[in-house]
Amino acid sequence: MYVCGTSKNLIRNAINISNITRYSSSASTEDSPSYAQFVYNRNPRNLEKLRIAYKPAGYHLDKPGREFWHKLQVTTSKRHVTASVLHHTGMVPILATTAEWAIRKQLFSTLDKMAYITIGKVLAQRCLESGIFDMINTYEALPGSKLEALLQNLIKSGVRLEEYPRYKSPHPWDRERPEKPWEHY
Amino acid sequence: MSLSVTCLLKKQNRLLTFLSVRHRSQRRNLGKPITAAQTLEERLEEMNFKDPKIHFKVDIGLPQPLKDKKKETAKRIEYLKNIKCNAELEKLARDNELPVSLEEISNDWSKTNAPLHIKKIAEYYGVYEHLFGDAYFLPYIQMNINYQHDSQEVPVYRGNIIKPYEAVNSPKVEFEASEKSLWTLMLTNPDGHLQKENSEYIHWLVGNIPGGDVTKGETIISYLQPFPARGTGYQRMIFVLYQQTCEINFSFIKSVSEKIDLDKRTFSTFNFYQSKQDIITPAGLAFYQTDWDNSLTEFYHNKLMMPEPIYEYDFPSPYIKPQKWFPLKEPFNLYMDKYRDEKQIAKEFLLRKLKKTHPFQKPEPSLKYPCAVPFKKSTPSWLKLEMKKERLRWGRINDY
Repeated sequence: MYVCGTSKNLIRNAINISNITRYSSSASTEDSPSYAQFVYNRNPRNLEKLRIAYKPAGYHLDKPGREFWHKLQVTTSKRHVTASVLHHTGMVPILATTAEWAIRKQLFSTLDKMAYITIGKVLAQRCLESGIFDMINTYEALPGSKLEALLQNLIKSGVRLEEYPRYKSPHPWDRERPEKPWEHY
Repeated sequence: MSLSVTCLLKKQNRLLTFLSVRHRSQRRNLGKPITAAQTLEERLEEMNFKDPKIHFKVDIGLPQPLKDKKKETAKRIEYLKNIKCNAELEKLARDNELPVSLEEISNDWSKTNAPLHIKKIAEYYGVYEHLFGDAYFLPYIQMNINYQHDSQEVPVYRGNIIKPYEAVNSPKVEFEASEKSLWTLMLTNPDGHLQKENSEYIHWLVGNIPGGDVTKGETIISYLQPFPARGTGYQRMIFVLYQQTCEINFSFIKSVSEKIDLDKRTFSTFNFYQSKQDIITPAGLAFYQTDWDNSLTEFYHNKLMMPEPIYEYDFPSPYIKPQKWFPLKEPFNLYMDKYRDEKQIAKEFLLRKLKKTHPFQKPEPSLKYPCAVPFKKSTPSWLKLEMKKERLRWGRINDY
């Protein structure tokens, strides 16, 4: 699809706008004054959903690396299990812990396998309700362990434990034209 | 003769001495010394630092509802003691068969931790930032919002995805409130404005709702379904519930009509709240995300009476280094192609394609073994590459 001539100049003049998705229309604006040539989508999660957003590069010597949008974190203290989703900016949007009264109320113990299973289910439910469908997992669970039960329940409830790679816009001279992930409606 | 030989030897000697002397490497340490250098993390932190004296947030919400904490904890301890004494429960827990009800958990959660959690996720979605600027609130009132689609309920939580065809009709909204209280409900979209940057479309505004019954409220702006333009991605649709201290006269923005006027729906929550901040207090929050689907084409044509806009993400254009007069070690065809006008290239590709296509005949079948078709002997190598690209459908040919 082609961006018309005037907009091309605009692109050159544009400063880097972080976090704002800028879209150009394919039609010229003169015929249809009811909408502008550029629309700005301010939703900070939009580019991640469309798989265009950057994942932080520059930590490739660290292990585990930081190339993710969302990552699963499971921490165990002496009394409680906490599972949370970490965003690469350091935000923790979703959290489920046995210290919450709503969960604690129904458990016998806050550290047994049943607690891990419940935390897995609750975290998955909250993720789906908040529009987060996949995240990476860096844990290697031993077979039959509590952590494995948590991970399995997460998967069973509909959360993917891996992330798609970023879509890189192909240069005109590149050989391949990868499929655009946002064109599945 | 002897002279020249000694001369040569001398020269060689000089060369040898030059080679054998150890020179200091010209490669210095890159960047600052280790003691002064910063890691990427530290540098980013310094770059993104915001002074808390300037960039602080203001709470504009309701005060925390009063609870007798002492009584509550005593109750909880008693409850846990009972559980610990229950041998049956222990057995069930050991066998991993404890009956845990997720529904009950989410019910209890909405009474206890929900405001804090909702605030976190709303910050993550930039809801407060884009609606209220430097203010936030804790949503102490929980709303149950359900769309009806094909006799199925589609609930709104905190950022779940709902397609426009599911949200054609206004949703059912329920919340607990005392009978005498008055409320305002608002549905707004801060992402999809087709004309202006940093503006919102208001989709629904119901004011003076008595006692939590939305159907009895005064409809100030009638419900409009979400209409994210094609290609703009996911847009947030945000429900905000305000508590009123007294009845409000909404005549200054009231517009209830069958015809949809998008200019009249241009809205700013910030200005709205600012003008009424002494009377209204934000108390509830829920939102979902929506993106284009093919039911919207009809909506744009029949309801909005406009051609459907199609957008595409504006990727930054690739960097191409300035052209040289004498580029060394560069293949001339690929190098020159980078500096040609993209429109001209597109035209050439299109013309070549149109030359081959016939309106009434079938297209030529593709080659079965494209790499096995021989080239003419006189073909130059750059042309061979172009032909190969065309046969294997590599590169630009896919664009046109």
